[in-house]
Amino acid sequence: MTAERETAARLPGDPGMWVFVLGDLAFFSAYFVIFMVHRGREPELFAAAQRHLSPAVAVATTLLLLTGSWLIALAVQASRAGEHRRALRLTAGTLLTGVLFMLVKAGEWAWEASHGRTFASGDFFMFYYLLTGVHLFHMLLGLVVLGVVLRELRAPGLRRTAVVETGATYWHMVDLLWIVIFVLVYLMR
Amino acid sequence: MNGTPGARTTRVWAALCAVTVLSWRLGTERTAGAAVTVAVLAIALVKARFVVRCFMEVQDAPAWLRRLTDVWLAALWTALVVLYLV
Repeated sequence: MTAERETAARLPGDPGMWVFVLGDLAFFSAYFVIFMVHRGREPELFAAAQRHLSPAVAVATTLLLLTGSWLIALAVQASRAGEHRRALRLTAGTLLTGVLFMLVKAGEWAWEASHGRTFASGDFFMFYYLLTGVHLFHMLLGLVVLGVVLRELRAPGLRRTAVVETGATYWHMVDLLWIVIFVLVYLMR
Repeated sequence: MNGTPGARTTRVWAALCAVTVLSWRLGTERTAGAAVTVAVLAIALVKARFVVRCFMEVQDAPAWLRRLTDVWLAALWTALVVLYLV
């Protein structure tokens, strides 16, 4: 590969992570299509069940995820510039948005369950718990990934930008999936 | 692009937050119908593409990844809109 081509096109982070991300996007896409097929069969029931959810809370969690993505994107740029302390702070900021997201989501689940809306309360709530649950599991893995990035940035002998890029790619995927879940589960009327 | 990469990333973040609030205000109107939902889906597509291109830096990635992510976005959103409307 020539130097010119190298600067013109570059895969950020580990290629293996991209294979995983693309596979996971395909996997979630199948879930989204299945959700839409079921929604199309009983739109009134889905709409009635959906009214129990709070779009305002979903907006707040979406803003948290977008903010986390923004911070980790800045962390990648800081890491490239050799500003490791700044990259560390930004990554810690992303971790904080992830923890806050999970706390809000746990509160939302507890609220719904305490009002009798559980996995068994019809197709809409089955999909609600399934989609948000699988997403939350990905976010939990994301927190571990961010932990690896933080460890990398703290160790003067490490600080490899590729590790920060790989962690960021995973975290952005979690954000990307949520953008679709936000619309399908909370906003679509 | 104007300014540093960081400044652009921050502008994209601010725009993504703004359209998130906009899609919420659109989506919760009492008169919400098919046109509003399609608009909300369109906003989500724009958001997703900005996350892919800017945050995930696919804009600077090899052509195969740029194409593959665009094919994914086009295929998923076409399926969502068609399944919503039929």
